[in-house]
Amino acid sequence: MILLESHNTIIQTVLAEKFSKPSSLDEHFVDYDGVRFRLSTPERKTLLRLSMNIRCWDQLAQYGAQQILEREYGTYLLPEAEPEYSVTLEFDTEKVPAEGAARDALIKSAALLKRIALGAPFELAFKNALALESGGSPPNATELMQIHYRDEEAIFVQAASDRVTVVFSTVFREEADRIFGKVFLQEFVDARRQPSIQTAPQVLFTAKEPPLEIRSAAGLKNSDDIGYVTFVIFPRHYNKPDVQNSTISHIQLFRSYLHYHIKCSKAYMRSRMRHRVAEFQKVLNRAKTEVATTERKTASGRTLVTR
Amino acid sequence: MERYWEQSIFKYLRAEPEDHYFLLTEPPLNPPENRESTAEIFFESFNIPGLYIAVQAVLALAASWTSGKVTERTLTGTVIDSGDGVTHVIPVAEGYVIGSAIKHIPIAGRDITQFVLNLLRERGEMVNVPPEDHLRVAGKVKENYSYVCQDIVKEFRKYDVEPYKYFQRFEAEHSVTGRQYGIDVGYERFLAPEIFFNPEIYQSDFLTPLPEVVDEVIRQSPIDVRRGLYNNIVLSGGSTMFDHFGQRLKRDIKQIVDRRIQASETASGSAMRSSGLDVNVISHKRQRYAVWFGGSLLASLPDFYGACHTKAAYEEVGPSICRRYQIFGSAT
Repeated sequence: MILLESHNTIIQTVLAEKFSKPSSLDEHFVDYDGVRFRLSTPERKTLLRLSMNIRCWDQLAQYGAQQILEREYGTYLLPEAEPEYSVTLEFDTEKVPAEGAARDALIKSAALLKRIALGAPFELAFKNALALESGGSPPNATELMQIHYRDEEAIFVQAASDRVTVVFSTVFREEADRIFGKVFLQEFVDARRQPSIQTAPQVLFTAKEPPLEIRSAAGLKNSDDIGYVTFVIFPRHYNKPDVQNSTISHIQLFRSYLHYHIKCSKAYMRSRMRHRVAEFQKVLNRAKTEVATTERKTASGRTLVTR
Repeated sequence: MERYWEQSIFKYLRAEPEDHYFLLTEPPLNPPENRESTAEIFFESFNIPGLYIAVQAVLALAASWTSGKVTERTLTGTVIDSGDGVTHVIPVAEGYVIGSAIKHIPIAGRDITQFVLNLLRERGEMVNVPPEDHLRVAGKVKENYSYVCQDIVKEFRKYDVEPYKYFQRFEAEHSVTGRQYGIDVGYERFLAPEIFFNPEIYQSDFLTPLPEVVDEVIRQSPIDVRRGLYNNIVLSGGSTMFDHFGQRLKRDIKQIVDRRIQASETASGSAMRSSGLDVNVISHKRQRYAVWFGGSLLASLPDFYGACHTKAAYEEVGPSICRRYQIFGSAT
């Protein structure tokens, strides 16, 4: 698995199982970026509730997440979320579509809950950018949208007439991670030089200093362990609905993807190092000279035998 | 191993390891070097904030707290863990495994399936079943129809008098051609799990019945915990899921114990009376994934975070920090 998947595997498997064989359950689990899920059957076996708590829900709601969720889930979305959660979906297992493509699609879209909620600001930005391009001027179109999706990290999205700029701030807790991250992000810049992927969005990486686009934003921390990744997304990445969808999916997972690969490459390098050390150890052991055993005798001429 | 962990953390759990504490399990008698290298990978490659390595048997004990029969939450007991390959009998005292007394029995799920298959073949039921489905059918029969009887002779008689009441029909479909076939399920319903109690009906390599092994294990443990070990025998793993398994085990162990007490009373010239010994076998709903469930139970306790080795402590001490075994969750 090189790319992370945007749907949640737990939701997918549990829903698929419970739709065909309802039974009571109460499960808590998590997703990336501190998202908490709860799957429960509070009233009866056939009434499944899926709740999600997402840290930046207020900001998402401000950028139209509620409307987008309503568009995606329709009647499954409850008007009032469960306490402590931001969004609640409810499925009546007796009324879900029969087994087949329709049901699979429903399960899949439920598993994408986090992706859809977090996609709201991107969708809004793409819409604004398209409107600006065609000469319109929607209100607050070029506003800098901030989504504080983790404690210390945020996504900034800004639309312009010919592009959408997305800036991630990310914190590296460890020295080694920072170096790996830098090398990894440098690869993005270099890879873009290859003729086959010239159309990829431009990626810039700056450590410490926030890039110009977001310097005006309040509450930026200026410390050593923070880094900013800037994506410049061109109209070709958002002017078709399907391309736009996959752009959103990929860009959302970027932070997790980056950290996942840092961890994997660290683990890989360490396992190689361990292997090499073991090999060298063998060589060293072979190089040891055998201790010469000489016959030792007592004064009276008898031999000492080691037991 | 790192790749396996990467996949399970990022693909299935979908969790950023930097944000979460981890609870890992290990088999009893795991060498400390393994724990050290695990800690190294988790703290240094995955940057986790805290780690706790628990012994599977202890988690299985914790899972038994969900049973209605358990009144006090103790971490003393005998765990019978039977999976697919081997059955372990592990005594645990106050959360510490008594390593010297652990015993293994080479009879487990796979052998039961094989035994069911042999019985069905001998009776000629398997003629209609396509050969590639044999093992699967035997496995299904084991999982869905088997139970533990209290007396084999009576059970045989019951089946012979009223075969139509007790024999059951198993229907299945060929996985490729879709052809329907069915077999009659009879004596193997109660004979299958019987190999735990009378191993000689299956093979002649290992002949000690499970209750005797359990008794032996407890008698090899220190004398001051034996009462607790008899009092709290916990089942875990898929092959202990048969109906009435716990009852039968309890009865058999009780018999062994009572007989021994009787013998020592007679040996003392009937001058002394014993106050008797309680034997309790606890079975509960979460038996199949008892270890996992116990882990999830303990990890949701508020003092779990206190018992973890934190990253700061790891950086101070190094991987050897995991050699120290930290216990929590007991009643004290």
